[in-house]
Amino acid sequence: MTGYFVRRLLLIVPTFIGITLAAFLIMHFVPGGPIERQIMAYKMAMAQEAGGASLGQFGTEIPPEALEEMRRFYGFDKPVHIRYATWLWNVLHLDLGRSYTYQDPVWDVIKSRFPVSIFLGLTGFVLSYLVCVPLGVFKAVLHRSKFDFFSSFVVFLGYSVPGWALGTVLLVLFGGGTFWSVFPLGGFRPENWEYLTFVEKVSAQIEHMFLPVVCYMVGSFATLTILTKNSLMENLGQDYVRTAFAKGLGERRVIFVHALRNSLIPIATGLGHVFSLILAGSFLIERVFNIDGMGYLGYTSILQRDYPVALGILVISSLLMLIGNIISDVIYVVVDPRIRFR
Amino acid sequence: MKPAIAATELESLAHPLEAAPPPSESITRRRVRKFRRLRRGYYSFLLLLSGYLFSFALPLLVNNRALIIRYDGEYYFPIASFYGASTFGFDAIGEPDYRRMREQFEREGRRNWVLMPPYPYSPTESLLDLPGFPPHPPQWPHIFGTDDRGRDVFARLAYGFNVSLTFAVLVLVFADAVGVLVGAFLGYIGGKLDILGQRLIEIWSSLPFLYTIIIVSSIVVPVYIPGRNLVAQPSFWLLITILAIFEWVGITYYVRGEFYREKAKDYVAAAIVTGVSDFAIMVRHILPNSLTPVVSFAPFTIVANITALVALDFLGFGLPAPTPSWGELIGQGMENLTKWWLVFFPLGVLFATLLLVVFIGEAVREAFDPREYSRLR
Repeated sequence: MTGYFVRRLLLIVPTFIGITLAAFLIMHFVPGGPIERQIMAYKMAMAQEAGGASLGQFGTEIPPEALEEMRRFYGFDKPVHIRYATWLWNVLHLDLGRSYTYQDPVWDVIKSRFPVSIFLGLTGFVLSYLVCVPLGVFKAVLHRSKFDFFSSFVVFLGYSVPGWALGTVLLVLFGGGTFWSVFPLGGFRPENWEYLTFVEKVSAQIEHMFLPVVCYMVGSFATLTILTKNSLMENLGQDYVRTAFAKGLGERRVIFVHALRNSLIPIATGLGHVFSLILAGSFLIERVFNIDGMGYLGYTSILQRDYPVALGILVISSLLMLIGNIISDVIYVVVDPRIRFR
Repeated sequence: MKPAIAATELESLAHPLEAAPPPSESITRRRVRKFRRLRRGYYSFLLLLSGYLFSFALPLLVNNRALIIRYDGEYYFPIASFYGASTFGFDAIGEPDYRRMREQFEREGRRNWVLMPPYPYSPTESLLDLPGFPPHPPQWPHIFGTDDRGRDVFARLAYGFNVSLTFAVLVLVFADAVGVLVGAFLGYIGGKLDILGQRLIEIWSSLPFLYTIIIVSSIVVPVYIPGRNLVAQPSFWLLITILAIFEWVGITYYVRGEFYREKAKDYVAAAIVTGVSDFAIMVRHILPNSLTPVVSFAPFTIVANITALVALDFLGFGLPAPTPSWGELIGQGMENLTKWWLVFFPLGVLFATLLLVVFIGEAVREAFDPREYSRLR
């Protein structure tokens, strides 16, 4: 078993190199990179200086030596494989480079977004387990009842609604547009955060986080609920449950002690991805609610062609995902001793 | 000749009293029958299919060009061909405003008439003659209001339905074509190719989906090319290709597994022994038995495609500008949250469509699943 997991850990290396190489190549070959953006900005400035000469006609050329210097500055004077090797070497030394837009080390830029993402992600994660697992259990126990039928409707709705799209509806309804003014329009915390008392801080935080967390939860709501329900249903049909009933145990004890424990196995394995889930966030939800988290940072870094930041986020998220896969399998082995990996 | 007769005679001797057995039902037919019995999914399927086919007739139903015009004893069909305003005695250049023309003909009381579509507004037409500034709230006859360029929201939603579904289906077809092909080769040939292919697939599927799409579609979002100022936009087909490039991986994994399993079965061995070529075995024998995941994932892939298109349009990386799209309307609604009709109506249509597809998907899955209960109920 140990050998299996050691091999899995070693396999991370080629996969990680593959992912980053693929991203590096895509960024290399997509036009509109940082240099082209600089050139465009320069030409726009020149065109404005020339008294708003008709756009598209200005013939100002950047002196070749300045262009050369710009290439050197961004490291584009070297061939792509050398640049990738340099970048990888630096990553191995825990140096993700320097952001083009912020002019700060990438790690600092990313680190500054951690609190927001962890706060949001962790709240959403814990709450969705607290809601979905009991709901799934009730749906399984009350299979084909009225409760099951109507909650299924909600589950279906949750499955077909993307969280960010629900967010726009909630904002129009409760964000003080036309209907009710209950929640703020967005942002992570109010601007006067530092001057608030503790109680005010708590209520302000809840106010700001309520809608985004609901949207986060919608994403996993349907799958998690149904996973719980089906897993419990499958166990309730097993022979050992019949045996437990046959020897005279109460219904509660059979369901909640015998069957439920076994049916939580597939749900427990999802915990391996908790870190990816918490950190990755959803850039669409963050964009709708104007929250400055990791997802939004990744989105803006790609729009602004801030390649070091985009690659830095990819490094972190792909490592978390690859390690999360292995952790999931480890949890699987721990909670279910019947499982053997070879 | 003779041995053949003898064989039949022998057979009839072996079962002298048995009636001919009923023809066995193929597994596909059984699944289809089960699917039709799951009424929620089946009716959703019929509703969506008829709605989609119906939406191809939209130019006849929702349009600002007249269907038939009778003018001075002659008939004209502006829906099919272009007529200048001067054709109808107007002193103007370009296409006439058929709605105004209808009013004028009615006023004049001569025997000229204009037959307009039932909803005489086009999705790309800015209604500049409405009072006030766009976006206009819902008002008769613009039941869903207008957007920030004064275009009728109902017309845009109706055409957007066709665009979204067409888009989603085309991405599905392209992605599945590639995915099945690659999965078939990996599963059938196996060995080193399989190991290498699986690694590449793992890498490719680990790239964050939307990020990569944003990068790639920025190839065609306004790009400055030295020497000229070129503003290009992603075309319909380019966007489909880009999405398919990132989506084919999903199905490959399952098709590979199916091929891997089917390959070991006796009928394949029999085909090999009788000298059928590898290609024929893959296409004619294994492929029909390996399409279960393709069919049962298809509705959920369509949900994902529609959602992806709406998200891209919402962000401004979707289809080129005048194309009627749901996501673009939602984006406009986000810009001014008091214009609730720009958010509620597109999202209502989006939710309803996705819900129908999810119902279909659930029924398909149940029809293909030998187990008793459904997964989403």
